[in-house]
Formats: sequence, C-alpha cells, structure tokens
Amino acid sequence: MKKITLEVNGKPYALECPDSELLIETLRDRLGLLGTKYSCLEGECGACTVLLNGENILSCLALSVEADNAEITTIEGLAKGSEPHPLQRSFVDKGAVQCGFCTPGMILAGKALLDKNPHPTDDEIARGLDGNLCRCTGYIKIIDAVRHASKK
Amino acid sequence: MNKIKTRTTSPVGKSVPRIDAREKAAGEARYAFDLKLPGMLAGKMLRSPHAHAKIIKIDTSKAEKFPGVKAVVTAEDTLKIKFGSNEYFFPHTVDQLALESEKVRYIGDEIAAVAAIDEATAQKALSLIDVRYEILPAVFDPLVAMKPGAPQIHTAMNNIGVMLPLAYGNPDRALAESDYVREDVFHLQSAAHCALEPHVSLGQYEISTDRITLWTSTQAPFKVREALAKTLKMEVGDVRVIKLNVGGGFGGKLEMFPMDFAACLLSKKSGGFPVKIMCTRPEEFSFTRRKHPMIYKLKSGVKKDGTLMAITGEVIADGGAYCSYGPTVLAAAILRIFMVYKIQHFRVAGFRVYTNNPISGAIRGFGGVQSGFAVESHMDLLARGIGMDPIEFRLKNATDPNTVTVNKLILSSNGLKDCIKKVEEICGWKNKFNKRKAVSRGIGIGIAADVMGSKMYKSHESAGSVIKVEEDGSVYLFTGAADTGQGSDTALAQIAAQELGVAYERIRIRAADTEITPFDTGSFASRVTFISGNATKNAAGDAKQQILEVVARECKINKDDLDIKDEQVVRKDSNSLVMTFDQAIQLCYSFNYGHLLIGRGSYNPKTTPVDFRTGEGNVSGSYGFEAQVVEVEVDKSTGQVKVLKMYDVHDIGFPINPSSVEGQIEGSIVMGLGYTFHEDLRFQDGKVLNPSFSKYRIPRSTDIPAIESVFVVTNDPQGPFGAKGMGEASLLPTAAAIANAIEDAIGVRIKDLPITPEKILKGLKAL
Repeated sequence: MKKITLEVNGKPYALECPDSELLIETLRDRLGLLGTKYSCLEGECGACTVLLNGENILSCLALSVEADNAEITTIEGLAKGSEPHPLQRSFVDKGAVQCGFCTPGMILAGKALLDKNPHPTDDEIARGLDGNLCRCTGYIKIIDAVRHASKK
Repeated sequence: MNKIKTRTTSPVGKSVPRIDAREKAAGEARYAFDLKLPGMLAGKMLRSPHAHAKIIKIDTSKAEKFPGVKAVVTAEDTLKIKFGSNEYFFPHTVDQLALESEKVRYIGDEIAAVAAIDEATAQKALSLIDVRYEILPAVFDPLVAMKPGAPQIHTAMNNIGVMLPLAYGNPDRALAESDYVREDVFHLQSAAHCALEPHVSLGQYEISTDRITLWTSTQAPFKVREALAKTLKMEVGDVRVIKLNVGGGFGGKLEMFPMDFAACLLSKKSGGFPVKIMCTRPEEFSFTRRKHPMIYKLKSGVKKDGTLMAITGEVIADGGAYCSYGPTVLAAAILRIFMVYKIQHFRVAGFRVYTNNPISGAIRGFGGVQSGFAVESHMDLLARGIGMDPIEFRLKNATDPNTVTVNKLILSSNGLKDCIKKVEEICGWKNKFNKRKAVSRGIGIGIAADVMGSKMYKSHESAGSVIKVEEDGSVYLFTGAADTGQGSDTALAQIAAQELGVAYERIRIRAADTEITPFDTGSFASRVTFISGNATKNAAGDAKQQILEVVARECKINKDDLDIKDEQVVRKDSNSLVMTFDQAIQLCYSFNYGHLLIGRGSYNPKTTPVDFRTGEGNVSGSYGFEAQVVEVEVDKSTGQVKVLKMYDVHDIGFPINPSSVEGQIEGSIVMGLGYTFHEDLRFQDGKVLNPSFSKYRIPRSTDIPAIESVFVVTNDPQGPFGAKGMGEASLLPTAAAIANAIEDAIGVRIKDLPITPEKILKGLKAL
C-alpha cells in the first residue's frame, strides 16, 4: 500500500493504492472513469491508452504507484463541457467510430501525436496509431479523422 | 425540439454522423463490459484441460466452503437440456450442454462455474474444484476423424456431424462435354473474430418473481433469450436479455454461450446476487468460436468459349467439438456459388466433421470467405487454362438480374455484371493484366455475392419496430435490431426520419431489449438494413398516416392528398405547405383529437422454404453483389507481397448512409487482408498456440493499402429505399483476388492460406 496523488482530468485525487494495482484499475474501478477500455490487459491492443504527463501510455501496463504525482488525461478529460475536443468532433464527423471500443484510446493516441506533430503526414498518423487496434473500420476513416483534426 | 442545431431532412442517402458516435467519442457509451450492479459477484468458468475425456467425478465441496464463495454450479444444478444454433433446420445438431457432466470434447469445455465476492476468490475457488477424468483418445484432423475406428466424439457416424450432398443436373455428362477440365484443392485455415470487447455476461435472478435478466455483449439478444429459456426451462417471457453498446461481434457473439447460462444460474443459486463473467483475451481466442478450417476440392469443366459447364467437388470442414452454426455455415459455403455463377450441372458434397478442436462457428462471411478463396481461385485457373481473360470469363458466366437459379434462388436486383465492368474500368485492367511480370507486379480479380437476410434461424425471419412521437415532436424508435458497431441504429434512424418526413436529429433509438423492443433475430447474414429497415419504414409510415389523418380531418383535405416532407405537412400535388410537422403534432395532441402517436411495423422477407437436403429454395429476400480487384507487387528476394491498391465495386442496392457503407466495406476488406496474409489461429493437440494479439496478428494502421470504393446502385425492389445489406460481401473475394494477382505478377499459384513469404519463395523455387 502506498499513498499517492494523481491529477486526473484536472482534478486532484489522494489515494491509497496496493503496490500491484494497475492504473487502468484505479481509473475504472475507483474513479469510475469507464471511458478507458481494455481488450487484452497484455499491452497489445491500445484500448487502455491514456495520457500521462502528455505522453500516451498503456494504463494496463502501468502501476498506479508509479504514476504518483502525474497528470493523467482520460477520454473524459478532453471535452469542455458539452463542447467536444476537435479530435472527438472529427472522429464523429468523419465516420471513424464504429463499435467505439477502440475509440477512446485511438483519440488519445491521436492527441499525443498531434501535440508533438501538429501537421503529420498520413504515414506519420498511421505510425502514431500503430499500437491501437481497431477491428471494425480498417483504419482509413480513423486516419482521415486525425488528418482532418490536424488541419483545425 | 429547440435544442437541435442541425436539421438533416431527407437523410436517406446522406452521410449523417452516426447516432451513437458522440457518446462513443466522449467515452460515455456504456457496454456490458462496463456494467456494475450493487452486490455484484465475480463469476468464473471451470473448463476442461483435456481435449477428450470422460468425467469420472466432480467434487465442489472445498470450493463451496472457501470464504467469499457465494455459489458453485455444475451440470447437477441444471436440467441437462442441450442447445444448438441450427435447431429449426438441423434438429440433430443440437448437441451442446451448458455444463458437461459426462464427457468433455475440447480443451475449454465448460464443467462448472463459481461466483465469489471478487475475481481472485473466484479464481482460487476454481482451483479447489476436484475433477477426475479418464482420458480418451482424441482426434484433431477431420480426415482422420472421418475414418472408421477414429475416436467417437458424439454419436454421429464417422464423426460426420453434418453432411450435405448437393447435386443438380448431370455434372458427369457436362464434364465429359467440356473442352477443359481441371481439379484444384485449397486449404483454408482457422481464424478468430477479435472483437475488441470480450464476451461478457451479467446475470441477475429475481427470486420473488422467478425471472432472469441478462446483460450480454451479443449480436442476437432474442436468440440468447430463446436458448436461455430452453436450457433453464423457463418461460421465454421470464427471461429478459438486454444489449447495450457492443464492442464488435463479427459472428462471434451470435448465440448463447455457457457463460451466459452460468451467470444466470449462479445468480439464482447465490440468492439473487448479480453475477458478471468476462472472458480474458486468451479465453476469447481459445474458448469462444473460430472460423471453420476447410479443405475445398473443386473439379470443373469449361468450353473453349468460356462457358462454365459443371462444378463438382467436396468440402471438408473441421467443426471442432460441437455444431454451433456449422450446418448453415457449410450450406452457405457451398450454395453461395449459385448467386455468383450461372451453373446448371453441379455436385458438391459437404462434410462438417467433429474433432476435439475448439468449436467452429459463425464468423463474418459465414463460410463465404473459405468458398470465396477456393471458387474464385479455381475460376481464375479455369480462365487461364483456356487462355481467356479472367474478367471476360466472369462476365460470361456471372448471374443476371431477374433470374431463378437451378437451386431456386430468386435473384431480382443483381448488379454483378455492372460491378465487374465498373471495377475493370476504374482499375485500368486492360493496361495492367498480364503485362507487368518484368517488374513483378500483378493484378487479380475476385467476385462475390451474399444474402441480405436469410431464413436460417426459424420459420420466420421477421423484425419489428415501434415509433413513438411525443407531444414535443421528439421521435423514439424502438427496434429489436442489434447494432454491434456496424451502424444499423443509424441506418434505421435515417430510414425512420425519411419515411416520417422529419429531420434525422429528431430520432432517438432504444434497441435490443427483449422486454421492451419488438422481436428481431439479430445482426447476422447482412440482414438488418434490409429486414429491420423495412420494419422501421413500415412503423414510420404507420405513424405518418396517423398524423396525416388528424391533419386531414382538421383541414378537411383528403388524407391521400397529403404527405410529410422535410418537417412540413404538404399537399402532394403542389408541395404547398399545410402546416409544419410541429404544428401537426400539437394538433394531434390537442383537446379535440388527443391522438397518441404510436406507429408499428414489421417485416418478414419474401422467401420460399429451403430444403437443406436438396439445397433448393429461395433463402433470402434479396442478394448483394461485389467485384474486387487487387494490385500487388512481389519482392522475389524476400517473398514479401505488397498490396499496392484495392478497387471495390459493390451492388448495395442504395446506400442509406454512404460513409457507413464505406466504413463497412473498408473494414471488411482489411479483415480479408488479415486473413489472406497472417491471421492463422493455430492448434496443437486441440490447444490454441497463439491466443494473444502479439501472436495472432490482426491488421494495424500501418498495414492499410489505398482502397477505392464505388457503389453500384440497383435500387432493390424489396429493399427499404432500395437498400440491401452489405456488411460481409467485400470480405469474400479478397484472398482470391490477391492470389490471382500474385500469379499475374510472378507466375506462382498459392492454394493454401495464409499467403506467407515462405510459400511465395517455395513457389518461385518450383517454377
């Protein structure tokens, strides 16, 4: 057990975490942030992607105690009230959302990419999303959505 | 309705944003995966570690006494009623028990289940269940399993669970009259669905009423309800199955699973606590369903002019331990050919063989991916054998509109030849085919067809919808159709808005709750747009007539002279405004009329009964068609195949939502690319060798070639606004088109999937 503090989507939390607790467990089970999904819990699908100090990480491979003092952004932290983030808007407008299970992780991976590289090429977008699996779309409309958001 | 900023009137044919996209992109969409109920217990399944064994004894006493364990169930807690997925047409294939007590038939067969206060306790309790087995000889190869003396898995003779010997005309004479006859054998591997949301079951038993509610990640809530009621021996009405958002299905969530049954039974035994059971990713790969591996042998003959004379052959499918959807998968793998090719003389025998491998079942394409590779490769080889262009060959033999096939399929709208001609045009076939061997570039074609809602589940294939128009003009659509991510909720909302004459944004949808929404068999066979779409159109039409009746009485105009278009009640002849939709609704709910607006509609596709002993009958209300061309470049030193571009032309009737249609086509093609090049669920002694995303590679964002997609609009006479289903057909010709392109590029013919660099190099060596 360790006392940690996290800032999640701009809100501070003081938590007591078992050493073995995964960040995804803290986010979903304790903080009720169910937008973050997981599909494998083995670090292979990208569905559990969140931003930790601005970097996209897999929350199923991170221990919460290691995230002590970190700023974390989940999908719930992107919109401003009912005003969606430009990436969320372009995912909706460009038909990049099908079943939606990969969508939160995909959008956060897209955000991490655009924060570093605001005007990526299609190849750079594809490489930026390479760790996030989608079984529905064939990725074309997802890449399209990220490109579209980058032009905003 | 003042909150609405955008008003998309006449939405059919427009790429409106999906109705559920905003909540999904916001992270607010809830799946069964996310559900938590007060007092919820964690459930786990105990599965057989043996491929084939007799169960001698199951002792659960230690697990039951373990602190934190609330319930343990075995077959002794059940009525031992078997279930299966093709009960109506193939009653003898109902062969699975939710919990086995006498024998296990594959590694993963469910024996017991535990519910405990948390997952760790449930996991520990599983290890405390003492099961004693007597190991039986097992068989994993269908060809061995068919031989006399092989281990007997069920009671079926030679382990042949399903046999379909289908024949028409006089194939032997037609082969003898052919100028060119050739025989090919194709091997198709198994594959996994890989829906990102795992299988989840959350069951809650209500003791006071003796009722059960199950939240499950399913494509077919009404089928799950039926199987649960049967196996639990409850009234259908006492079982409620609720589908929330579903994180993909692809055929893998089309039936009741033992975990659905166990979640409900554990809840009952624990005294009504809700019980949630969730598959891990390795369990998903190993213990749910998989694609049928098939050996597809074909021997066919053609005339010198390209006329296809006869097709004969044999299909052997490794069915695994239970039948699941195997019978209809096998039938579809064989009978689909009649939708594509005009053929009078035919004899193909299909065998679905039990083995001690995991259960083969439905997966997107429903046997059509396997047959698509075999048939489309074989057809290319026939064309090449007589020196005919593969496109010319297909145009000569492709089916026509408004025809009846030899097995009595009624092909009404049929744009197959238009698809072929269009794809030939957009890919520049004439300048590319057989012209670029020097640079190891090739081009290949495959064609396909698919049902748009086949009657294969029960005597009817009906779907229903209810439309409720509220006092403020908001419109609720209740449908039993199960959107699992393909976009059917959106398409149905567009259809409802179009028919009612209002903006798409007015529609809210409540779908797939067996207690609240009308019946619908589910999302399979590309049926929802066609069948549930027609039901929804009928419901919206009914609501519209009710509104027009009130307006007609008030304005003293003949009702038949009125219509609702773009949120306005108008005179049909002049299109002049009578009143706005909102005014009409206020009128309906006014003192004088007080007319509550509830529209209802149902639809049962016009088919004829299918006799699966002969393969005759019109199985579907309409059929969709497809032609696909692939350009490849092969690196002869490494054996790597690079897909340069794909061209897809699809007769979809009419696109309700073009963006959604493209999304389905792109997703299908990419799934087809995965199966062609690397998806290969491998087994050793019945155990899955690669049950993870790192060992079973599905396509990633960096694997995607350019795809040019064109729709052929045929306006199906039965389809809602001319639409047909289209969620599967684009996946069917992909592997063959690639194999055909590889032969064009380097002269190597690959007949076994997946197409790996090793096979290419081996083929080059043998040239």
